[in-house]
Amino acid sequence: MKKILVANRGEIALRIMRTIRKMGIQSVAVYSEADRYSPHVLYADEAVCLGAAPSSQSYLNGDKIIAFCKALSVDGIHPGYGFLSENADFAQKVEDAGITFIGPGPEAMRVMGSKLAAKECVKHYNIPMVPGIDKAIEDVNVAKKIAAEVGYPILIKASAGGGGKGMRIVEKEADFEEQMQRAVSEATSSFGDGAVFIEKYVSSPRHIEVQVVADKFGNVIHGFERECSIQRRHQKVVEETPCAIMTPQLRKQIGDAAVMVAKSCNYVSTGTVEFLMDDQLNFYFLEMNTRLQVEHPVSEMITGLDLVEEQIRIARGEVLRIKQEDLVINGHAIELRVYAEDPLNNFLPSIGTLEKYVKPSGEGIRVDDGYEEGMTIPIYYDPLIAKLIVHGKTRTEAIEMMLQAIRDFKIKGVATTLPFGTFVFEHEAFFSGYFDTHFVKNYYSPEKLKDKQKANAEVAAIAALKNWFQKQEIVNAVDNKSTSWKRRLAK
Amino acid sequence: MSDKTYSIKANDFTFLFTEDEIKATDSIRKPNGDFNLIRNNKSVNAKLISASITGKNAIVEVEGENFEITIKDELDQMLEVMGFGIATTKHIKEIKAPMPGLVLEISVIDGQEVKEGERILILEAMKMENSIMIPADAIIKKILVKAGQAVDKGQVLIELD
Repeated sequence: MKKILVANRGEIALRIMRTIRKMGIQSVAVYSEADRYSPHVLYADEAVCLGAAPSSQSYLNGDKIIAFCKALSVDGIHPGYGFLSENADFAQKVEDAGITFIGPGPEAMRVMGSKLAAKECVKHYNIPMVPGIDKAIEDVNVAKKIAAEVGYPILIKASAGGGGKGMRIVEKEADFEEQMQRAVSEATSSFGDGAVFIEKYVSSPRHIEVQVVADKFGNVIHGFERECSIQRRHQKVVEETPCAIMTPQLRKQIGDAAVMVAKSCNYVSTGTVEFLMDDQLNFYFLEMNTRLQVEHPVSEMITGLDLVEEQIRIARGEVLRIKQEDLVINGHAIELRVYAEDPLNNFLPSIGTLEKYVKPSGEGIRVDDGYEEGMTIPIYYDPLIAKLIVHGKTRTEAIEMMLQAIRDFKIKGVATTLPFGTFVFEHEAFFSGYFDTHFVKNYYSPEKLKDKQKANAEVAAIAALKNWFQKQEIVNAVDNKSTSWKRRLAK
Repeated sequence: MSDKTYSIKANDFTFLFTEDEIKATDSIRKPNGDFNLIRNNKSVNAKLISASITGKNAIVEVEGENFEITIKDELDQMLEVMGFGIATTKHIKEIKAPMPGLVLEISVIDGQEVKEGERILILEAMKMENSIMIPADAIIKKILVKAGQAVDKGQVLIELD
């Protein structure tokens, strides 16, 4: 492979291109009219404009991307995450055009892309699954009946969904219709597929996922687990590895299960198998993400792997260079997703210009980002500004490093999830390791953040007032001196 | 003894202190100009990032966060009261877009009476559908947007009576 096009934007496009360059390969960036100034465009060896800002006219235009690949003699496409990364039809078209798709084959993507087909696929491998219905439902009344049978609370999920889109928790029957309509409508607009299904809602669930890496020769290894339970709106904000409550025995079980899931669909490339874990440490297969995950850096930190490099090597047809027994966990890594969102206002997107943007640096600190000071966060895409990742010898050390790194991360102009990060990493539930996906609901309120800000504001106010008093004392002292001079002169 | 009061604005917060209260705080100023305060046994550092010549306006950093400070002494406070003495009572007259996005659905019509917490429209932003609820009982006076329309943050969507 001599030239790879990265069909993505922002931090992930830049991160992928860094590895591409490291491997002596040329990189091609794509961009929309809103992203001309983006670092990924400036970093790439070549860059092509796809069109107007909305994703449908730019980053989702697969045919245009393939046409550019042909024109520029590109021999590989890396899709990143989101956009076309899990679009089996696109992957097929890429292969048909004689270009290597750096990711899994279209078939594995198709199976795992549908939560229902995925359940069907892994059924025969003795992998535990959450109780529920494994068929798509459209009729509200039928759905209601099934929900009653499964027992409330239930979860309505889009079959083609991900990232919390098209997903709704329903606590009681009275809310069912409205929630189902919203789920179907969201699923239709986000994924073009309105199929939903119903699952029992596991209370106190932890979200644990396992990184897998598979080559084209049937070798599959796992790169341990990631704990991703700290979420808002069903979307992850904080991820860490290893999971604080994992035992070596449980790690082996869940790791083996993940490898089996990958094998069940003849998976190739890096992927992530997601599990729910209840408070009794029972785990259930949730779904498989057939792409490079947003939170992949934490796994890279503790394993020493460059997952993008592995993807490219696998796509080139190389045999995995590492065996399961070669992988050991080195230290502890935590990631905080820095979103342009206001934690004081329901985590709603906070759009604006990065008037100030200074990132932390130092040993064990990694920042994957796609913005620079002065840039505006566009409304058209995910509001992720950066991923702040720390790697310490122990979990406690990593938490302390993270708190300091957040203090050193200076962003002005938009509200961000940084103060929320401080809240999480200072919280005793997080510190103890015993928390679940309800962390935000159970512990967080904007008032708590506000109280803390108020306490800090008060300290700032006192300091400023003290400073002012000191200045006045100097002024007064000068005045006194001059009057005594006058007095002396008068004598 | 001094009971002179100061009103200090720090970002969105306002504090009232008397001179004695400030002098009673356990704080020191380090040779490098940074402050350290011990409050409720907690040791907190504050860094003076910048200050105006008079010192009435300053930027102070505490735990990584910058606070813009404006100090008002008694004279300043008096002037302010005279200038802006008549406070307007808050009344919900309109619904503004809390973020930029796309109006997906409007659930009300002109002239409709709505109760607090009722959904009035759905706004899609960042691919998420957000139900916009009405914060208080009201009557819909005029709907200014259509379904399918893109709106900016702060744009008035619906006028209320």
